[in-house]
Amino acid sequence: MGVIHDNLSRRKFLSSAFMTLGLSFGLGTLFIRFGQFLTPEKKEKRIGEVLIGNFTDIPDGAATPLEISGNKILVVRSKDRITAFSRICTDLGCLVSWDAAREQFICPCHQGVYDKNGKNIAGPPPRPLDRFEILAKGENVYIRV
Amino acid sequence: MAITIEEVKEKSLKDKIIDYIQEDVPDHLYTWPYTLGAIPLVLFAILLITGILMTFYYIPYPDRAYESVRDITYSIYLGWFIRGMHKLAVNLMILSLLLHMVRVFITRAYKDNGEVKWLLGAGIFFTSLAFGFTGYSLVYDNVSYWGMVVVTNMAGELPVVGKTLLLLLRGGEEVSEFTLIRLYDLHTKLLPLLIIVLITGHILAVRLLGFAKLGTDLKSVPTEGMHKFFPEHAMEVGLISICLLIFIVDIVMLFPPTLGTAANPLEVASNVSPPWYFSAVYKWITIVPRDAGLFAVMLFIILFFAYPYIDRFLSKRGTDMWRVNITISAAAVIVFTILTLWEIVRV
Ligand code: FES
Repeated sequence: MGVIHDNLSRRKFLSSAFMTLGLSFGLGTLFIRFGQFLTPEKKEKRIGEVLIGNFTDIPDGAATPLEISGNKILVVRSKDRITAFSRICTDLGCLVSWDAAREQFICPCHQGVYDKNGKNIAGPPPRPLDRFEILAKGENVYIRV
Repeated sequence: MAITIEEVKEKSLKDKIIDYIQEDVPDHLYTWPYTLGAIPLVLFAILLITGILMTFYYIPYPDRAYESVRDITYSIYLGWFIRGMHKLAVNLMILSLLLHMVRVFITRAYKDNGEVKWLLGAGIFFTSLAFGFTGYSLVYDNVSYWGMVVVTNMAGELPVVGKTLLLLLRGGEEVSEFTLIRLYDLHTKLLPLLIIVLITGHILAVRLLGFAKLGTDLKSVPTEGMHKFFPEHAMEVGLISICLLIFIVDIVMLFPPTLGTAANPLEVASNVSPPWYFSAVYKWITIVPRDAGLFAVMLFIILFFAYPYIDRFLSKRGTDMWRVNITISAAAVIVFTILTLWEIVRV
């Protein structure tokens, strides 16, 4: 094959540019793949109803901690109303607990406070506690998780 | 230095090595603020050895991690001693790095080719903090478990990179056994690799680009004597190491390491708190609005790395940087101390 010397530098440039491009593309995709390997996708959450007990079983004015398939839940009953909150503090993920005397949820990590409806009223938490839906079928209480 | 005939001739490798280890170093390295660079190095060696020793007993699995640390602390022969040295050495290392940074900052040693040293040094500092956090989490008692939850969540709140970083650190949405093994991998493999590269680079930069000159800010540069790297300087470092070792061994004897209660994912520790070197940042983000607080921390880190260039930019425009630096470092030390004490001494 005859080499045209005038074009040598241009050819050199083109081929090295091509190499660089190809190499960075190849390596780039490879490393993105490595990154994906290390950052697992969130699993689809299945939604189901779980029986948590008889209405009268749930103590009045207190909060009952539950753990249902990895969800940390507090079930609060005041008179005939039952609500269920996630215990995960909306600030940085500590667990809130129920202060019966003050009727508030307290987070010990940075003194976050939520009222009995889960509303954030003091401290750093940016939003109310997450809720779980409660279903009453006759005397039985179900929770949707 | 005058060039001699021998130097013009090609030197043998042996001569080069001898020259290298006998290089003259300035006398001010004898004064204590200038030993603050050698101290973390010695401490790092201690950390490396004691750390490797502990990997022979530690089990990075949630059900066993706490138990294995308890065994190291209370039943394995001399386990308490090794763990105590490791724990104390890391605290001393971060403390001495902080002091070293203040010294470099006040004397503006990052000028005149010092930028590389500063950047590598800053890298070493933040890597050490990463070591501190990962190591603290490995203990897996309740305080460190919840510390891990909070800190990884905090990483997750960073703008742009947060979400990915959270998944990377935790190996999923939640803190799980993958989180522990990841932190373990970081602590015992990736971070050591990184810090060894950085330390080597930092020392090479110091040796090749020269030690910080004394009194660059003063009008008159004092002429000073020199001494040889070997044996004089090596002896001095040896002396520092011995003193440090005696100190560490004594303190560990007097205050053997302790351990809190086991991690409980269903019960927050009442005293969730990070190690002292994170206390100031931890307090800071709880007293200011969260996003602003995190943003300020990120900004601080960026400014920190870029400081030599900021200095150059400002001093070209006639700012008296020596004054500025004194003011900044005084303010930084005061704020850091106040925030730290505020967090540690809880009422
Ligand atoms: S984690 Fe609950 S207040 Fe910060």
